[in-house]
Amino acid sequence: MKTIVLGVGNPILRDDGVGIHVARQIKEKIKDSNVIVDEAITGGMNLLDLMTGYDKAILIDAVNIKDKNVGDVISFPLSSLSTTHSDNPHDASLMEALELAKKLGQENIPKEIIVVGIVIKEIPYIFGEELSPEIAKAVPKAIKLALKEIEKVMINN
Amino acid sequence: MKQILIDPITRLEGHGKIAIFLNDKGNVENAYMQIPELRGFERFAQGRRAEDMPQITSRICGVCPVAHHFAATKALDDAFNVEPTPVAKKLRELMYCGYYIYDHILHFYYLGGPDFVVGPDAPAAKRNVLGVIEKAGVEIGKEVIKHRAYGQKITAMLGGKATHPVCGLPGGVSKGLNKEEVKEIETMTKSCIKFAQFSLKLFDDIVLANKGYVDLILSDPYQLATYNMGLVDKNNKVNFYDGDVRITNQDGDEHVKFKANEYHKILGEHVEEWSYIKFPFIKDVGWNGFTDGKKSGHSRVGPLGRLNASEGMATPLADKEFKRFYETLGGKPVNSTLAFHWARLIELLYATERTMELIKDPQITSDKIRNPVGKPGEGFGVIEAARGTLFHHYKLDKNGLIDKANLIVATVNNAGAINMSIRNAAMGLIKDGKVNDGLLNMVEMAFRAYDPCFGCATHTLPGQMPMEVKIYNNKKQLYKTLRQNM
Repeated sequence: MKTIVLGVGNPILRDDGVGIHVARQIKEKIKDSNVIVDEAITGGMNLLDLMTGYDKAILIDAVNIKDKNVGDVISFPLSSLSTTHSDNPHDASLMEALELAKKLGQENIPKEIIVVGIVIKEIPYIFGEELSPEIAKAVPKAIKLALKEIEKVMINN
Repeated sequence: MKQILIDPITRLEGHGKIAIFLNDKGNVENAYMQIPELRGFERFAQGRRAEDMPQITSRICGVCPVAHHFAATKALDDAFNVEPTPVAKKLRELMYCGYYIYDHILHFYYLGGPDFVVGPDAPAAKRNVLGVIEKAGVEIGKEVIKHRAYGQKITAMLGGKATHPVCGLPGGVSKGLNKEEVKEIETMTKSCIKFAQFSLKLFDDIVLANKGYVDLILSDPYQLATYNMGLVDKNNKVNFYDGDVRITNQDGDEHVKFKANEYHKILGEHVEEWSYIKFPFIKDVGWNGFTDGKKSGHSRVGPLGRLNASEGMATPLADKEFKRFYETLGGKPVNSTLAFHWARLIELLYATERTMELIKDPQITSDKIRNPVGKPGEGFGVIEAARGTLFHHYKLDKNGLIDKANLIVATVNNAGAINMSIRNAAMGLIKDGKVNDGLLNMVEMAFRAYDPCFGCATHTLPGQMPMEVKIYNNKKQLYKTLRQNM
């Protein structure tokens, strides 16, 4: 099963870039030619473009979920999200992009999309490459959880 | 008029947050939209290698990475005292046209278009690209996807990556084109020109043939008589990549024309206590609050601003459309905010035609793609991002490290106008304290036309932009909250 692991976020916007920090460390650990690890400083349509051609996608991203604490790490299928907000008004949502692709008969989109989410407090508005201490602490947890998702794929390969 | 203080809402954070203030009669007094400004860029940039700026600044914004990339590259040309080779300039412009092709297609079919194609009264859940496909058909959907992808491919062939290019270097570019690539781009561009013409035809059939829509475009709440600003070539024709910045007035006449390095002489920045944004205004006209007209220094940028600030398009098909645009809407300047959508399609056609001109240039496969750089100093770069004029300004130290960096981004140039457009749309829909059901739709249409980018993070899972409108009474108490996608 061809799988893509994408760290999503902005690497120069502090905690927003936590997904990229996690993906960079995972990239060093994965030596399977069927598993590609990359960075996605983008969303919506462009994000779907990056996933196209893979059977499964694992997105590692900062999330804002009610009832969860800052620094919590969770994984869930993308389809279970009821609302997905973007800070980017110039794009279709990933859900919309996926639905559109299906409607237009595009066949090479991933059958399964898993999100590994790191709960952050708020969208940072100040530039920086550093993570806040509580989010930095969540990085090993996120790596572990993402690797668990990747292992599921590798067993099936 | 009663002055209303807005202390309770100090520096609103968050996206799509709109505050509307009513007077004692329950009618709209003012409206503000918070466009979050990312802060601390100057400090972030300080001490970094100047050559890294095209890559770093392309990460500022998930919406216009290519525009930042080349604004930075042009500022570095200037800072390192080097003129790019002729072919390097053409390659940059070619790549830049590819960015316009995919960016403008995305806006029309996915973001702005749904309001018209599906209808301004349709529920929010239907006003998206899926609604467009439902109405226009699956085959058109496939064409949209195909041509957006062509634009991206052209950008990626030159830039390495479509979304975050790596090709711009002071004095030139890192990669040229070979003959096979030229052929491939030519084939794609041919198709893109046809698609741009089709899109204009679609706009004709769906929007201009519908009296209700035309009335809406020309209706009072969507008129704003600001100055207009955009880059023009030596013939005062629209140019996305290079030229002088031209500002025209409410009569369509030139107010001023200036070079990138004069921007701080021409444009002032006004600070409001409720926003981090510094609102640009034309200095010799002056800041006169959030009002339009000749005595107020606001100007609009982006597709409509560019067309109004120019005397035509430099390619034949687009120029014909330019003339028809002004004939149809009653002459220059067009002040209707919703005309941004039409202007955007005319620019799409220009971008495709210009791509063809550049790719057919016999010089385009030349390998003279870079000139050697000089000593580091101060540099200015200006470019037209799809959503408006973008300035980069750097001061380098003697080792070529960034000492000072200042950026004025497109949406900030439009920030004053966006606030006024929202206020005007709201005025028509809130009467004596009664809020019309269509308020969210009409307000969204008012700012959507500008194709704004808010602070530009790419954070979290993408979805519909959440929007929240808070309405306050004349005692500054919260009167009503309306939400969408939240």
